[in-house]
Amino acid sequence: MKQHLGRQSGVQKVEVSLIDGKVDVTPKEDGQIDPAQLLKATYDSGVSVAEMDVTARGKVVKDSSGNFALQVSPNRSYQFAGNDLSQGLESLAGSPTVVTLRGQLYKKPGGKKKPDNSQPLKLTLLEVQKKE
Amino acid sequence: MNIRKLNKLVLFGLMFATPFVQAQITHVDMRVEGMT
Repeated sequence: MKQHLGRQSGVQKVEVSLIDGKVDVTPKEDGQIDPAQLLKATYDSGVSVAEMDVTARGKVVKDSSGNFALQVSPNRSYQFAGNDLSQGLESLAGSPTVVTLRGQLYKKPGGKKKPDNSQPLKLTLLEVQKKE
Repeated sequence: MNIRKLNKLVLFGLMFATPFVQAQITHVDMRVEGMT
């Protein structure tokens, strides 16, 4: 799996801890990393992902449907799964403020449901680390 | 005059030394199951 993930675009380093089942991925600074592609690559290597958390820096944007999202590159943004933390950031939409935050992009559905990879990943905010 | 040039050099130096705030994903961590 480590080699499989290491070959993905935008990945600089992969560290795997067999004891606690943790996989740490350090992206390259080219901004090309695609978390959805990482999920797929992990499944393709025969391992099931329980959770995926990211630390990201970007601007808060509001799309044409009125949904708020974090834009992490010119062509990639992640819609917020609404919670108290994301509501606190809504006033920054359209402003030049860059926020650094930690959030959850994926959590395995409970029970024996098969994960639905067709839906775009939504970002559940866990922590706002910095506003600059 | 020399002090003005020196000030400019210091200013440019500071501009390049300041880390560029770029939007990007800086870290990803996953919890996985079924790994042997």
